[in-house]
Amino acid sequence: MNHPLLDPPGSRHLLLANEGIVRGALEAGVNVVTCYPGTPSSEVPDAFARLAGCGLFRFEYSVNEKVALEVAAGASLAGALCLVTMKHVGVNVAADPLLTMTTTGLPGGLVLLSADDPGCHSSQNEQDNRMYARFAHLPCFEPASAQEAKDMARAALLLARETQQPVLLRTTTRVSHLRGPVEFGPLPGPAPLVAYRRDPGRFVPVPAVARARHKALAANMEAVARKVEESPFNRVEASSQTPPLGVIASGISRAYLHDALEAGNWRDAVRVFHFGLTWPLPVRLLEDFLRPLSRVLILEEGEPLLETAVRALAQERGIPAGVSGKGGVLTRFGEYSTPLVGEALASFLDRESAPLPFSRARPDLPQRPPNLCAGCSHRSAFYAVRAVYGDSAVYSSDIGCYTLGLLPPLDAADFLFCMGSSLSAGSGFAAVSDRPVVAFIGDSTFFHSGLTGLANAVFNRHNLLAVILDNGTTAMTGHQPNPGMDQKILGPGRVHLDIEAAVRGCGVSLVRKARALNQKAVQALVREMKEERGVRVLILEEPCVLFARRSLARARRRTVRVAIQDESARACFDSFACPAFRLSDGRMDVDPELCTGCMVCPQISPSFTVRAEGA
Amino acid sequence: MMNSRARIFLTGVGGQGSLTATSLLSRLALDRGIAVVSGEIHGMAQRGGVVESTVLLGGWQSPALAWGEADILLGFEPLETLRALPYLKPGGAVFSASEFIPPASLSAGKAAPPSLSLVREAVGAAASRAWFLPLRAIGAGAGLPASGNSALLGALCASGELPLTPEDLAAAIRRHLPSGVVAANLAAAARGAELLQGGTD
Repeated sequence: MNHPLLDPPGSRHLLLANEGIVRGALEAGVNVVTCYPGTPSSEVPDAFARLAGCGLFRFEYSVNEKVALEVAAGASLAGALCLVTMKHVGVNVAADPLLTMTTTGLPGGLVLLSADDPGCHSSQNEQDNRMYARFAHLPCFEPASAQEAKDMARAALLLARETQQPVLLRTTTRVSHLRGPVEFGPLPGPAPLVAYRRDPGRFVPVPAVARARHKALAANMEAVARKVEESPFNRVEASSQTPPLGVIASGISRAYLHDALEAGNWRDAVRVFHFGLTWPLPVRLLEDFLRPLSRVLILEEGEPLLETAVRALAQERGIPAGVSGKGGVLTRFGEYSTPLVGEALASFLDRESAPLPFSRARPDLPQRPPNLCAGCSHRSAFYAVRAVYGDSAVYSSDIGCYTLGLLPPLDAADFLFCMGSSLSAGSGFAAVSDRPVVAFIGDSTFFHSGLTGLANAVFNRHNLLAVILDNGTTAMTGHQPNPGMDQKILGPGRVHLDIEAAVRGCGVSLVRKARALNQKAVQALVREMKEERGVRVLILEEPCVLFARRSLARARRRTVRVAIQDESARACFDSFACPAFRLSDGRMDVDPELCTGCMVCPQISPSFTVRAEGA
Repeated sequence: MMNSRARIFLTGVGGQGSLTATSLLSRLALDRGIAVVSGEIHGMAQRGGVVESTVLLGGWQSPALAWGEADILLGFEPLETLRALPYLKPGGAVFSASEFIPPASLSAGKAAPPSLSLVREAVGAAASRAWFLPLRAIGAGAGLPASGNSALLGALCASGELPLTPEDLAAAIRRHLPSGVVAANLAAAARGAELLQGGTD
């Protein structure tokens, strides 16, 4: 198989850090890779999916993060070296098995990639998953460049194999999505499997076992800490002098620090502790670094975890250095930047720093928020449901492109917590409110964690209309396979599961199905189901328009134009708000470049008609 | 003004191909032996949102740019050029598309569109050098609308702002783009370089 990521040692490529992780895992000899996609982690599993034909490892898109982690942990018990990838909130889903497997340990080795999202570029929160390193007892690597992403992925897997302790590889959006040159190391081929030896006294954590394993875990983490003391990923930058000021920087803050020290010409003013393998703490290394300092500045995005640890260490060991961290420009919110770190440094060093001049931002510019695509079947579904319920219903939303239904004029999202919450949170809301609840959930999210909420809704006699928006793919994260996908696309390695059968299997008796773009059919079914009580499921099918074009090679057959400039056309413009709609010089039209020919607007208003060729 | 250490901010609209152009520029620099780090933010890029990316040449480690840090701004859409102007260091250089892609709020007639002359005026006040090119028209002329992005790179490489030449760009296009689009991108890059020779705005 020919792919740049399989190139010989010594090759140099410009890689996304996420691709660097893939190469690093291959250099470690990874045997099994599982995942649930999620920005900013998705390029890792997607690259593995493209390489799956090389036969070096087994790869799967699992149905959710808990399942992905359990599949990999099982494979690791059977002796495989495993990598599991997900976004930060996915680790919450996987937390249950995670906190037990770190106590039993995993003989084959397992690394969990958590791609965090400070700044919420594409997430519902900015939780700091370094907390999990402490909570679950995971050694934690934090790369800051593409080369380090490669090197640390390899080192993390080798550490996991050597110590049997599951390891956390933690990136952030800035790191996952940076590109830089990466020099390749040797590709030794798949790691040998560690022979399985039955040991229920270790791997079946009944209370007596669990109590003993808690102590074994503590001992194992102490052994890991001794390795962290020796790690090349933690180093003190040699300086010509030994000034009494120091900086400890972790993650991408190391890059900001490097650039800020150069910009201020302050490289000789501080000693720098580059912290790459950040948990468990290398106490001796830190103490040696801190002892001669009068003051130290801690640079870490997110929560003050290193800062708190350094303060505790200083107190415990009687280290006189004053510790500075969060406060002022160094906030717990969002991301750091080079100028922000420069400002913090200037204040720490008592130097002058002039803020960078720049031209004033223009808040008056028209916004360009992400939007449901022209031709998106979700827009049609939301329109039809609104046509029946209007503002009378409460709309319980879920995670996917369809979350964008929150935008006006569709207004099809009132609340949302996490993957799968639409059905269960919707059930709870309806149990108390006298307003009807309509829950929207996509196909991949349904298999991820909608099934359990649906079973609960039936079991406990909840009352809600669940609309499953089945677009046949995992659209939001880049069209990864899920069990609802067409068998022809899935190929021989995966099996299609029928959503309707799954819904009926959960005990739902009122199930209807329609094409999402058929307004008349969908509105009639919504009207019918509105009159019923109990758990009702409406499955709306239509392939994602991007997916249909790219993967199904489905060509556009026709486009639409506005034939009559009247009130009916205006109402469709205002209530359907397709991105292909254009208003110029007061005349309404449909952009033939953007129109996908979904034919929903002519169903809403007779003033829209098929555009003749060349018109 | 040749600068081997330069920070470039690129902005465009989802689906336009600005990330492909970003990656081409980074590879081009790496081919020429220049240290490069590049970053992109594209959580919902396919959904018509703003797509921002960076290319930092000459030994930076951070892939991010804050306001006032960019030496050069490449705008693949003029409204986005205007929105990204705070990233430009005062007196920096701007290379921008001149054809608007109206956001949904504008297409529905709910907000007033800025005019190109307003964009030119704001750019003129912030930058010391600025060039506007009709990327879509150039791309269409080259037989592939998306190849218009290479015209902006062609202009950048012909400007002398970076230690990169139009010949370097042509070599990178041949080396890194799929064979089916090479001819159109070469033509668009050449056209961009040619228009630049015509002088600044």
